[in-house]
Amino acid sequence: MGKRYAMVIDLRKCVGCHACQVACKSENNVPLGVNRSWVEELETGKFPNVSRHRLPRLCNHCENPSCLNVCPVKATYQLEDGTVLVDYDRCIGCKYCIAACPYDARFINPERNTAEKCTYCHERVEAGMQPACVNTCITGARVFGDRNDPNSEVFKLLATQSVAVSKPETNNRPQTYYIGADEKALRPNLLEIVGGEK
Amino acid sequence: MPTVHFFDTPHEIYWGLLIALYFYYTGMSAGSFILTSLGTVFGIEKYKKVSKVGVLMAIVLLAFAPLHLLFDLAQPGRFYNLFLHVSLTSAMSWGVYLLILYPVDLMIYAWYLFRQDFVQGLNKGGFKAGLYSFLLFGKKDMSAAALANDKKKAKLFGTLGVPLALLVHGYTGFILGNVQARAIWHTPLMPIIFLMSAMVSGTGLFIIVMMLVEKFKFGRIGEDIRALIADIANLMKWFIVVDGALMIIYFIVLWYSSETGYAAGYFLLHQEGWSFLGLENGLGMLAPFLILLSKKARQSLPLVTLASILTIIGVLAMRINLVIGGQKIPLTGSKIIEYAVSGRDLSIGLGIGILALVVLTWLYSVLPMNRPGAQEKESIPVSKGVAQ
Ligand code: SF4
Ligand code: SF4
Repeated sequence: MGKRYAMVIDLRKCVGCHACQVACKSENNVPLGVNRSWVEELETGKFPNVSRHRLPRLCNHCENPSCLNVCPVKATYQLEDGTVLVDYDRCIGCKYCIAACPYDARFINPERNTAEKCTYCHERVEAGMQPACVNTCITGARVFGDRNDPNSEVFKLLATQSVAVSKPETNNRPQTYYIGADEKALRPNLLEIVGGEK
Repeated sequence: MPTVHFFDTPHEIYWGLLIALYFYYTGMSAGSFILTSLGTVFGIEKYKKVSKVGVLMAIVLLAFAPLHLLFDLAQPGRFYNLFLHVSLTSAMSWGVYLLILYPVDLMIYAWYLFRQDFVQGLNKGGFKAGLYSFLLFGKKDMSAAALANDKKKAKLFGTLGVPLALLVHGYTGFILGNVQARAIWHTPLMPIIFLMSAMVSGTGLFIIVMMLVEKFKFGRIGEDIRALIADIANLMKWFIVVDGALMIIYFIVLWYSSETGYAAGYFLLHQEGWSFLGLENGLGMLAPFLILLSKKARQSLPLVTLASILTIIGVLAMRINLVIGGQKIPLTGSKIIEYAVSGRDLSIGLGIGILALVVLTWLYSVLPMNRPGAQEKESIPVSKGVAQ
């Protein structure tokens, strides 16, 4: 089997320091107001019975990416290794991909005026380095690598740990695997948000 | 279980008013064309009176519709990429070719409808004669065979226009319907709902335009046109019935679908209630339906006008509720995403609307709108357009 990049995020180790978010911004010159990767932090329950959850998010480099399917000019494309990228010279900025991604992973870069999202730090990975967020993670919660390589950390974690992905019901087959994720953190609590649950 | 977010990243709504207006314009173009093709294509004699008014309206609406898209692009200068790269998995890419084929077909169809009148108008002299002679491209033959050919070709291109009209608006339904991430859009009914509501608003706008054209071109709204309006109003009533039934089916299934679907339904009934229930379905659908129920009302021009205006507003609200409302429900995070139309979008929307109106008025005033039962009077000067 060929190379297939994926990310495993061990939420038991994540302390919510947001270092990954900051590293991503500085590595990729991400303008203010938009993010390629971010950390959601939430509390569920009622005092004294509460729990705190963190959920680093990024583009899931899905196996069947909605963003790629809807792009009318094929500016969004996928490499053999699974990385989903945007051709910034071709993108017309129609924003269809932003509307279609189930994970809010995309935005229009206000300086470049094209769609943009996490690239798994493609240039770094090509040069044999880790993505900036993985490199900077203070607890080693973020693990990046080849899902198909039996010697990779990602392979081992996927084989030995129970993992969950966000919104598995979409046909996207997202490739960010969370260890120790709470179902309530993996998706928005819509009923509460629309006021249907007090 | 209550959830409190401490950190979240802000998201914004990227498809706003301009996209909703784009769907709205293509819809009214398709709706008005299909309605007025009943004469030429389906041979229903009385509708031949209005095929010209309808086709011009359909062409102008469709010509201006894509401008909304263009101005919505973050890279408008690269729009030509849409032609260079085809993506079969993207509904937006399907539309590119439809947006060319449909108006071209309509223009050819219109040319055959107008040719005879162009030839007759050549003796008018002045600007109009020059324009007609240019538009004729030298085809001035008025023999019986040529006239029969006009009729045949009009029918051919008109017939082609009907599936194209269905596709050009149906595809916009797929743009939303194919997005599985958003329960509010993701339904096989979406293309059909779009088509049916387009029939409603297309008919509504058409009735108003037709009355204006009659009034200013022929000086009055004759008995024959009044009868036709009552007829069209009756059709509109049935379009509303079908559209309403589809909306109800859509909503019930949404309500009983996934958690996201239910939440979306709840959102439509509550936060978006005034717009979804009030504007879109109450004022825009139920009210005109109730008005049009009565035969007396269908024969009264003011009441039919009122019903038409209500449907036009209602369907606009529907496009906005679907396109923008669909993005207000967050995909991640913890908050409803708010939308406020930007001054830029609003002025572009208004600008395009006004421009379309001016062009349409100009076309109606310079083109020969002769129809079975009414000939343009020579005495009406060029400047007496619909605008005055
Ligand atoms: S997470 Fe969104 S942007 Fe990333 S590949 Fe999947 S669909 Fe595309
Ligand atoms: S915004 Fe760019 S990448 Fe996204 S669908 Fe449109 S053209 Fe493709």
